[in-house]
This record gives sequence, C-alpha cells and structure tokens, in this order.
Amino acid sequence: MSAEAAGGAGTAGEPVGTRSATADAQGRRVADFLTKYAVVALLAALVIASSIVNHGFWDGANLKNILIQSSPIAIVSVGMTFVIIAGMFDLSVGAIYAAGGVTFANIALGAPIGTAALVAIAVGLGLGLANGAVVTLLRVNPFIATIGTGAAFGGLVLIYSHSNPIFVDKGGFQKLGLGSFHGLPWPVLIAIVTFVVGAFVLSRTVYGRYLHAVGGNREAARLAGLRVNWLHVSVFVLVGVCAAVGGMIVASQLSVGQPTLGADVALQSFAVVIIGGTSVYGGEGAMWRTLCGVLILAVMTNLFNSLAWDAARQAVAEGVVLVGAVALDSLRRRRT
Amino acid sequence: MPVTSPSPDDPVSPGPLAGGGTGTALLPPAIELDDVTKRYGRLVALANASVTVRAGSVHAFVGANGAGKSTSLGIIAGRTTPSSGTVRVFGEELHTGDARASRAAGIATIYQELTVIPTLSTQANVFIGQELRGGGLTRERAMRNALSELNDRLGVRIPIDVQAGTLSLGQQQMLEIMRALVAPPRVILLDEPTASLAQRERDALFTAVRELNREGVTMIFVSHQLDDVLAVCDTITVFRDGRVIETRPRAQWTKTDLVRGVVGQDLAAVHRGTDSAAAPTAAPRLRVEGVRVGSVRGATFELREGEVLGVAGLVGSGRSSLLRALAGDRRPSAGRIWIDGDERPWPKTIREAQRAGLSLLPEDRGALGLFPGMSAADNILISNIGAGARRGIISRRVAERQATDAAGRVHFDERRLGAPARNLSGGNQQKLLLARWAHNPPRILLADEPTRGVDVGARAEIGRTLRQLAADGMSVLVASSELEELEELCDRAIVLANGVVVGDLAGSGELSAKNILEVVFCAERGE
Repeated sequence: MSAEAAGGAGTAGEPVGTRSATADAQGRRVADFLTKYAVVALLAALVIASSIVNHGFWDGANLKNILIQSSPIAIVSVGMTFVIIAGMFDLSVGAIYAAGGVTFANIALGAPIGTAALVAIAVGLGLGLANGAVVTLLRVNPFIATIGTGAAFGGLVLIYSHSNPIFVDKGGFQKLGLGSFHGLPWPVLIAIVTFVVGAFVLSRTVYGRYLHAVGGNREAARLAGLRVNWLHVSVFVLVGVCAAVGGMIVASQLSVGQPTLGADVALQSFAVVIIGGTSVYGGEGAMWRTLCGVLILAVMTNLFNSLAWDAARQAVAEGVVLVGAVALDSLRRRRT
Repeated sequence: MPVTSPSPDDPVSPGPLAGGGTGTALLPPAIELDDVTKRYGRLVALANASVTVRAGSVHAFVGANGAGKSTSLGIIAGRTTPSSGTVRVFGEELHTGDARASRAAGIATIYQELTVIPTLSTQANVFIGQELRGGGLTRERAMRNALSELNDRLGVRIPIDVQAGTLSLGQQQMLEIMRALVAPPRVILLDEPTASLAQRERDALFTAVRELNREGVTMIFVSHQLDDVLAVCDTITVFRDGRVIETRPRAQWTKTDLVRGVVGQDLAAVHRGTDSAAAPTAAPRLRVEGVRVGSVRGATFELREGEVLGVAGLVGSGRSSLLRALAGDRRPSAGRIWIDGDERPWPKTIREAQRAGLSLLPEDRGALGLFPGMSAADNILISNIGAGARRGIISRRVAERQATDAAGRVHFDERRLGAPARNLSGGNQQKLLLARWAHNPPRILLADEPTRGVDVGARAEIGRTLRQLAADGMSVLVASSELEELEELCDRAIVLANGVVVGDLAGSGELSAKNILEVVFCAERGE
C-alpha cells in the first residue's frame, strides 16, 4: 500500500526527478506544513476574532477566568492524550471525575484535606486500573468497555453519595480550587505542571516512545518485544488520576461534591485532543497539540459567552469543530 | 505517433467477441503497452516498456521481484497511473489510472492478495458489487443458479452457502476467478494466481484458464513460477529490473532461457561472490528437535554460529509457523530446543524468546513490523530504546548516533532517518526492520520472507546485510518462498514437506532452486 509511495533508493545523481515532480514535492511539503500547524492558525484566528468581538478579551480578569475554567478539562486532556496516542479510548473519565470530586468532599468532612486528596487520587487510580484490566485481560474493545465501566462507576458514585450533593464548608477545602500560589491560581498551576511533565514524558522518555509504538501498530509492538498490556493499563491509570484531580478541583471551587458532575468531560477531553491534531487512530500526536486544543475550546467558549450564545448553540459548534478535526486527520492520512 | 481512438460505437471497432478462438487474428491486439514508464520518486519501476498481447492468447509476464511485471499489470488494471506512455485495449486508448475505466474496457483482475470477505458466504462474495437484481431486491435464486453454473464451467465444487473464510486458500482463489467471470470479461489479469495453491488446485486453475481461453478470453498471467508459465501460456514476456527484456512465443523458450532471462547472469554472480563464512564445523548455536506446530509435524534441525540457514518448502509447508514458534509467538504442541548446547524450555512469549536470543523479522512488514507514523530512526531503535537512555529519559544525541550507526549497517540512507516510516518505499521499510535487529542484535535472527515485495536493488542490499550480520557472528534462519533467493543467500537450506525436514542442502553445488524443488516433489510423491 503506502509501501510504494514516494521514496526509492537514496542514491543521488540520477536526474530522473523532472521539474513537475519537484514542484509536486514542494507542494506536498507546503501542504504538510499547513496541515501540521493548522491548529495554531485556528487558535490565532479565534484569538483575533475574540479581540475584535469582545473588547474585554485581553482584560486580566477575563484571561484568568478563561484559564481557571479550562484547567480541570486541561488536566484530564493530558491523560487523554496518553490514552489516545496509545491507541485506546476512555469514555469513563466523566464518572471518574465525579468520583474524584465526591470522594474528596466526603472524606474531607471527617479527615484532613490532604488525606481526602490522597484518597480521591487513589480512587482515580483504582478505577483506571479497573478499566485497564477490563480492556487487557477481558479483551473488550476500549470504546465499549469504558462506556460500560463509565455507567458502572457513575452508579457507584450515586450509591456512595446516596445521590445527594456533599456540601463541605470547611476552611481549606476551597483552597485547591480558588486559592493561588504567588498569584498563580492553583488549578492553573497544576494544569501547567501536568502539561509540562506530560509533554516531557511523551516526547523524551522511553515510556513515551513505547506508547507511540503500541498506538501506531500494536502487533508490531508486541513482536518487537514491548509489554503491550502493561502499557495500555498504564494509560488508563494515568487518565484515571488526571480525571480524579480535575473532579477534585471542581468540587473545591464549588464547595460541593456533586455526584452528577462530569457529563461532558469525556466528550470535551476527547475533543480537545483530537482538535489539537493528535491522531484518533493512535500512534501520532503531541502534548502541545492538546494544549492548543484546550485553548481553542476555552477561547471559543469565551467568545460564545460574550456573544451571549446559549449552551445549546455552543454544543452544536463544539460538535462541528470536533468532526472537522477528525475529518482533517483522516484526509491527511489518505494523502500519504 | 498519432493514435486513432475509435469511439465505442464505431463500426470499424470489434464488437463483442465471437467465441471460440477463431477469427481472433483479425482483431487488434487485446492489450498494447506503448513506451510505458512508471517512476516512484527516484525509483524507476518500469522503464519504456512496450508489449503487445494478442487477442485470444494466454500471455505470461515473468520476472523476479521488482522486475516490473506487477507494475505493468497494475497499469493495465487501472490501479497504477503510469508516469508516461499509452495503453490501448483492443485498439482503443485506455484512460489510465482509473480502475473503473479498465473494468469498463472489459478487463477483470484477480489479485495475488485475496480480497475475499471472510464473514460473507461464497455466494455473497462472488456477487459483491454486481448482485443480480430485480425490482430493487437481490435475486438470490438466480445468483445461486449462476454460481453453480460457474462451478460446473470451471470444473470445481465450491460450497455455496458456507462462510468464505472457511474455504481453503485455493478455493478462495477460485472464488476470485468466479467473481471476475460474473460479468464476462474480455481480458483477465491473473497476478501470481498459483502462489498459494496446492497441486490439485493448481491443476483445476489451469483447466479453468484453458477453458476460458477456448471461449475467447485473453489472459495475462503474472508469475515467477516458470513451470506454471510454461505449462499454460502461449506467449511469454520476460521482465528484469523494470525493463522488458524479450517477448517470444512459448515454443521458442526453454526453461534455461527463461531462467537466464529472469535472473540475469550479472545478478547471480554478485551473490555467489560472498561465499559462506561459516565453517561447517562451527558449534551449533541452535538445535531444534521434533517441533510440532501448524503443519509442521516433527521437524529437527541445527543452526550453526554465523550460518545463514534457509527454510524452503511450498506454501503451507509451515515455514512461517516454524519461525513464529521459535520467536515465541506460537506455542508448539511438542518440541525441544537447545541454545548453545543447553536445553531450555520452549519460549512461550516474544519477550522470553528475545531473552533467549531469538528475534523475529516478520513476514508482513506493514502489519507486523512498522510503526507508520514514527520516524525511521524511532522504528529502528524501538526494541531497545533503553540503550540510548538514562533513567528512562532518551538522549537525542545518543539516539541519533545509534540510529545512524544501525542505518549504515543496512545501507539505509541516513538522511531519511527523520522521515515517517509510512513515506518510505518497501525496500527502505524492510531495511529499517533489519536495522532494528542490527541495533539490538539477537544471537539468532528469524527472517521471514525478508525481501518480499522489495525492488531488486534493495533486495541485493538486504541480502548483503544478512550475510554481513552472519559474518559478525549472528546465526540467521531465512524462510522464503523464493527458491532463487535461498540459493543466492544461504550457506545451507533445509526443505520442509509433509511436515518434516525432507532435505538438507549445503554448498554451491548442492543448494540450488532446482534441487530444492526436486526434493519437495520427491517427498510429495512419496507420501
């Protein structure tokens, strides 16, 4: 198939390439460049549009607001990037998000905040491990598996919370969501650290390279001697922890562990990864892309709010952008 | 050169073929390739090829891998767009690069890779995309009748209601032919149709070919099985290195001529030069006893240090199963294994096998070997990236040096190390996989069809690399369906037939394509 595409022996000197062939190659390079950085252009366009439409866009308060509001999703998206690059999906992150928030709130009622945070993170880790086990040991397709586990986790959260929101009015509980460190809000700081660490791990470590490999060609990875199952389990654990942290931040911001939280977390975290240009088929992608995706979604939401669009219209727009991003990805593949 | 292309309803152009061979001499040639060239980047797959295929003939294109025969076929079938030149079908210029145009011109193609949909029934497969319909519904009864007629006509008995995936390879091949016959074609292109067939199925196919030819259908037969070609074709064109070497009627070819035409003496000479480094007295690196896996029912053999050992046998003889069992990918039901004289438990996983020193160069590089989106360098390093890392963090400098080093050993152009693997040619992709094991060298390399689908140049370089790895002390087991390749590459070859090792050929006198075939056929007849 693609085996025959461009290339051939690299020996120089053979004047076979005609002028039209080199023009073609040049055209392809330009097209490659454009598709590669399309996401940056889109982000820039949105920022410019926002600056024009919304005169308050560059206000410090508005920018801070945008960042704080998108932090929880941003954190989940870092985990989701790992999952998708490894060729997996996780649609249960919404339920884990809720579980993180509810556990954090409930434990915080009777124990120190730090303990509550650790327990909530452990819950995210455990649920991620469960996802990994279902996908690797029972060999269920990750899409279906996590729809199922997502429903089950959501049910467990309702049982645990007796379907009631858990209000916490305890000094310190809100610090995670509303406090700041040297002027930088905690959620934003956590998101930045998650991104930086995630980007480094993905692009510079052996583990990151292995994730690209299993996502790019699972059989080949197995035959090359990689521990495919462990790699897959690890990404579910990662995204589980990220989702729990996202849920904790939201619970802290609202002072309440809300069991019904997180309905659109799966869609949004998935969307920002794909909009960023990470391949939906796995094996290719980058953390900076997800960052662009997060910012695109955040600026878009901010723009729509300033235009006084309602949630329904925003949902339509988000959906269209997501499908467009996937179409672009598949178009790029067809060309090569 | 002005080309008249009469419109389809031009009274001069031949109408539908009158059956029965007679009168076909009056027709314009069925297919004319006129000065056709196909380039992939710098690689010239086909250079200024001109071939005329007489209407009503069975015409063979023969040649080694990468000789240009399949490219020619692809161009006629509309699957490949030529870089220049024209193709005429019964005198009319073909709109090239358009599979539908070729189909409309009466050309049906039967590909080497089967395109059967395993979950559908035989009947559904044969009529897919060309269902007999009436009133918006499919006419199952009519299709059933048509299919049993096809069965009769081809003299075969393919069950109609079973899932196509349960059929034997030969039956599936026959199913492809039936598919081509539903809408009666004027020209049928067969790409390596006998590659996966047992003798009986092969005979049935030849009968079908002759039968169709009697009905006036022109056939082009692409194959490197010279005996098959001599058995059924009436005209033979030899391709080599992307060029048409010669076209002659069957009667004017001998097998020796054909072999000389296909191989080209110069090429044969290149390989024999680097003769075996392995002394026959070298210690056995690997000993396998009584292994049973797939169609292998008790194979025993030894592989020495620094030796390149071929595994020969017909399709279905279990070459691939044997290699995969050694690589820890398939669990044999019996068998003992010694490495460097020590018996050890049979490796149950890929990782166990790798720890024991056995690594696989898989047969299907696209599906089993490559990471298409990753760079060439990462594709090389992936099985042992840790070697260029400290505490799990990759050093770009070290990684780059290692990749360049491994690339050099397999003659891979280091300037392309940054390119994604999917953008490379088949030959370069195969070199990458080889470089993977040059970077992380196993004691025993299991190379399954190491040069399948690569061009001649890359093929020679891959061969040289394998020999070099062996000279450096690696033991190499090569399974190949191409006997000439085994002859050129190996110090020694074992021949599998009926599930056991029936022959062990060593040395330039004994190890030849002809001898391998002889051993196989004697064994088959003996059973």
